[in-house]
Amino acid sequence: MLQGALAGLAAGGLYAVLAVCLTLMSRLVRVVNFAQSATGMFGCYVAVFLAVHLAVPSWLATLAGILLGGALSAVLGWIVSTWLAEADTGTRSATTVAVLLLLISLAFILFGNKPQPFHPLLAGPAFTIGGVVVSQVTVLTVALAILVALGCRAVLARTALGVRLRALSERPTTAELLGIPARPLSVGVWTATGVIATLAVSIVAPSQSNDPTSLAMLVVPAAAAALLGGFRRLDLAVLGGLVLGMAQGAVAQSDRLSVLRYFLPFLVIVALLLWTQRKEVWDAAR
Amino acid sequence: MRLAEKLVPFAVAAAAVAVGYALSVGLAGYFVYLGVSAVVAAIALLGLGVVTGTAGMISLCQLTFAAVGAFVVSACNVAGVPGGFGTWLLLGGLAAAVAGVLVGLPALRLRGITLAVVTLGLAAAADLTLVQIQFPGATEGLSVERPEAFSDDRSYFLFAVLVLVACGLVVHFLRRGRWGSSWHLVAFSERGTAAVGAGVRTSKLTAFAVSAALGGISGGLLTGQVGLAFPASFTAIQSLALYVLAIMSGAHLIDMAVFGALLWVAVPELLKRWGVPQDWGFVVFGVLGVQALTGRGNLGTAVRALWYRRRSGRTAGVGLTEPVPDVEPLPPGDPVLEVRGLSVSFGHVTALSEVDITVPEHGILGVIGPNGAGKSTLVDAISGFLPRATGTATLGGRPLTGSPARRARAGLRRTFQQDRVPPGLTVGAYVRFVARRRLTGRELDGALAFFGCPAARTPLSRVDAGARRLVEVVGHLLARPRVLLLDEPAAGLPHEEHVAFGRRLRQVPARFGVSVLLIEHDLDLVRSVCDTLTVLDFGRVLASGPQADVLADPAVLKAYMGETELL
Amino acid sequence: MRKTLPVLAIAVLLAAAGCAGSEAGANGPIVVGSVNALSGAATFPEASAAAKAVFDAANAAGGVNGRKIEYKAIDDKGDPAAAAAAAREVVGGDQAVALVGSSSLIECEINEKYYEQQKILSMPGIGVDPACFSSPNIAPVNVGPFHDMTLTLLYGSEVLKQDDICALLEIAGNTLPAYRAAIDEWTKITGKKLKYVDSTVPYGGSDYTPYIVKARAAGCKAITVNPVEPDSIGQLKAAQAQGWTDVTWLLLTSVYSENYAKAISNAGAGVYVPAEFYPFTDAAAPANKDWRELMAKSRIPLTSFSQGGYLAAKYFLAVLRGMKGDITREAVSKALREMKPISDPMVGTPYVFGPAQAHHDNTAGWPIKLATGAGKWELAAQDWLRIPKQ
Repeated sequence: MLQGALAGLAAGGLYAVLAVCLTLMSRLVRVVNFAQSATGMFGCYVAVFLAVHLAVPSWLATLAGILLGGALSAVLGWIVSTWLAEADTGTRSATTVAVLLLLISLAFILFGNKPQPFHPLLAGPAFTIGGVVVSQVTVLTVALAILVALGCRAVLARTALGVRLRALSERPTTAELLGIPARPLSVGVWTATGVIATLAVSIVAPSQSNDPTSLAMLVVPAAAAALLGGFRRLDLAVLGGLVLGMAQGAVAQSDRLSVLRYFLPFLVIVALLLWTQRKEVWDAAR
Repeated sequence: MRLAEKLVPFAVAAAAVAVGYALSVGLAGYFVYLGVSAVVAAIALLGLGVVTGTAGMISLCQLTFAAVGAFVVSACNVAGVPGGFGTWLLLGGLAAAVAGVLVGLPALRLRGITLAVVTLGLAAAADLTLVQIQFPGATEGLSVERPEAFSDDRSYFLFAVLVLVACGLVVHFLRRGRWGSSWHLVAFSERGTAAVGAGVRTSKLTAFAVSAALGGISGGLLTGQVGLAFPASFTAIQSLALYVLAIMSGAHLIDMAVFGALLWVAVPELLKRWGVPQDWGFVVFGVLGVQALTGRGNLGTAVRALWYRRRSGRTAGVGLTEPVPDVEPLPPGDPVLEVRGLSVSFGHVTALSEVDITVPEHGILGVIGPNGAGKSTLVDAISGFLPRATGTATLGGRPLTGSPARRARAGLRRTFQQDRVPPGLTVGAYVRFVARRRLTGRELDGALAFFGCPAARTPLSRVDAGARRLVEVVGHLLARPRVLLLDEPAAGLPHEEHVAFGRRLRQVPARFGVSVLLIEHDLDLVRSVCDTLTVLDFGRVLASGPQADVLADPAVLKAYMGETELL
Repeated sequence: MRKTLPVLAIAVLLAAAGCAGSEAGANGPIVVGSVNALSGAATFPEASAAAKAVFDAANAAGGVNGRKIEYKAIDDKGDPAAAAAAAREVVGGDQAVALVGSSSLIECEINEKYYEQQKILSMPGIGVDPACFSSPNIAPVNVGPFHDMTLTLLYGSEVLKQDDICALLEIAGNTLPAYRAAIDEWTKITGKKLKYVDSTVPYGGSDYTPYIVKARAAGCKAITVNPVEPDSIGQLKAAQAQGWTDVTWLLLTSVYSENYAKAISNAGAGVYVPAEFYPFTDAAAPANKDWRELMAKSRIPLTSFSQGGYLAAKYFLAVLRGMKGDITREAVSKALREMKPISDPMVGTPYVFGPAQAHHDNTAGWPIKLATGAGKWELAAQDWLRIPKQ
């Protein structure tokens, strides 16, 4: 079981990073971005395309891919914050569902469905605890998740930018009256999460099987993890991602529980929702 | 006229069946088969129309419910359940509805986006699971037997059309009935739903269950079409695409669901003929979906807008100019609503503190006070929207407790300061739903005319804001509650209509047998309507009693009159 | 925009209504069809492309008895309803005389009954699902994943002398019994048993580390998998990340591609595959010469799939040329049922359609290997590996 749990940690790290991105988006720009990992996937595929077909050095290609992931996210953010500035979270998020569909199909069209020769940034085991191997990718993704969460927290709590961002998310009208530029800041948040998500996917994709659909659907376990923090708390989002990954790894060790593995994110989501929403809450303040 | 109106859906259904028959005979074999695919998609889209279009929720697992239906139909086929394909199809729909309720129960306690997360999680999990477990009979290659009379492709298409028409009729009548009204209402405002005594959860759950049942039927129909159920028919991606299609076509309208289904089949077919890779289909759907969502309107509203522009673009308002016959006011009786020691605090801010209020039977109590005095909080607390409020309330001698819906059913109704009237309904359907009892046409028309509201057939989307408030009041009055709490009902009316409105309000206890608690800014209106007054200031009762005494109270003058000059 | 949408809607409807089926006359071209996975998550476009190239070449040389062959390759999108519709389009609508060179994940199972009903025979280039090998009306030219699994196990246990072989089966649909039968056949021949079988490995999963860890902990030295390419890459990468570099992979022809070889940086103790056709990566081989030239001319990728499509079309042409009289569906079916076996250096078993109730007779594969760091496939044997006759 422990072996399985540690084996699932790499996936858990990725879930955690994506969960942090989802939480940031939900808090700061009022959207659950279903296309979060899809933008990452797309950036990654572009990187491979550059490396293979245009013989760009792989570090440069990866960098370009990450930037493109950020740019894609920025475009989406611009669309949402321009045309859906007043819309509720549901409508804004539904837009990202359409984008998810679009990106997956576009990836099939542009890159085909044959496996891509991803150049691994890291490969091989990092160290062994008690006979269980922990891979370098695991170490890096878990570290990335924690660093991103801590970094975001520091930015939000300590810097002037963070104050503005929080003002924007909590009192949008007041913030605008105070002259805080709403749209550029929102697009900035979209861009930042796009970059982070693409970076995380770039690290993990070469170490996994990677077709556009499975990479884009990583948003499901990530959303489950983000829900642990109620789409508000970064620390719980990270924890949720890591625990979910480890639980999936552990469950996969048993043949009888294997179907449960797929339902884990779903069950986690449902259980968390039941717990956090025990009391009746109303849709509008009054 | 009314009979003709009732027959219209059936006439449309008959016409649809006729068209279906003509197509089943006239089309080339291959197109007949594609037609079945379109019908299958149309039924699934109808379901999505109910849950996303009417009830305003995001459901991303429609094909998972289709898989449930397919599973049941396959299992029935293997087990040889008596009744044949038609029965299996119904069972499949039922099973999917049960699955929908099971998924919905936890998810629907929540709102908006969490349902999307849950359903996407379910779709992804089911996608992976279905590949591993097998549909019954798949291993042996046991084909599902189509109904005997409809066994070849052409007649099966006709069968599918019949099923679609039946589903369309069911959806049409459900939507016109109580469930449908509650879906519209819950999409527009959960508070508004609870305030009429309808359960928010029940409303959502019925929408979700109906949608899932339609999904199940479409899955069963698909199994009959292909002969075997395959996981590849029910992938998460296709569920997403179907959702986006429902959004962009506006599938809450039945004709648009059918049109969306035609797109679902025609776009890939055209791409094939033009030699364009099939994956572009979903790209097209994705782009159109984004454009529909970003407020550029979907196909359904675009077509409807063209139609209505031709008919009439005018909005209907209030007409209170006609005089109404006077009715002798009833003398106020014993207290019917008694509130004692009501306190509400938000964090450190005390909104209400030890408030006592009494509404006499057949009386009209006015509650006045400056902005921020706690008037609306008072209404929220009495009607149960602030469960953390302390103090007691009794209605007709019985303690008034529990959820807003429960209090509403116990005979305490309220209106809202903000617009809680869903634009998707007609005036009549909305009032009937709010009244929660059988109304005769005369009763309905009489009450609407009394308050100068637009006719019952008018869509609420074409009624102006002031009139919508009055329609809300009429609905609640026709519910015959013991007490109705009115939160600034005249706010949307032009000032010159206030007096006419007040004259009518004055007759409410005698005409409708309802006692009223009125919150109002307009002192003239209050003076002309209320027997007794309670003045709130900073969450405390400043004065309470007969109108003349209260208005003469120096403390009231000092605290309140300074502000009225602003009015 | 509001105005353009309804216009678009009407345009779509009109365009859809305007498309009617075409008529094939008795002296017109001979219509041959195929149902293929051309779009979606897993696509195999090369088989039908190769078959088309063969028919185009035949048409250029004057056709068959003066009649041209019109080849229609229809997309099934990996979607069951679309697969059934595709069969109806080409069989019912276009009145095809036979289906040649299909390659799809689901098509055989969905359409076998329809083919029986329409009395049409299908010669898939690459048959995948079990129904391709168990229907009287379908006879694929390839070995198929099930015999391929028996072959790869035979190679692992008999040639590589591996004792601790485990199976990680990716089960899609109803394939589990067929794979179990394939493993049982290997057990019957060799008297050996697998160390364990894990049939819960997800198809199209993202992270396979837990399954790899489990296999390693169980003491497996060699692993046989029935993967699609991306999954196999994921599994090999998971093993690499775990530092498990001495594992032998016994895989199937489904991973035999140049793309795959390039994507694998660490193949453990080697990836071994019994190629269903003579290995196309052996550039100098005379067995593949004609095929290779045609593919190069038609710019079709060199893959097992294009070998299958090519062979199916070639066999079919040979049968067609031997026919006398009118070429109708009935006549073609009769000729295929009565044909003599055709041998070809590209395969180890002669092809015959024949009157059998099931067609699972191709039992030879050519072992190839992908070594760590090689980046390309190499021959691992000098002759066909055959499943011994029981």
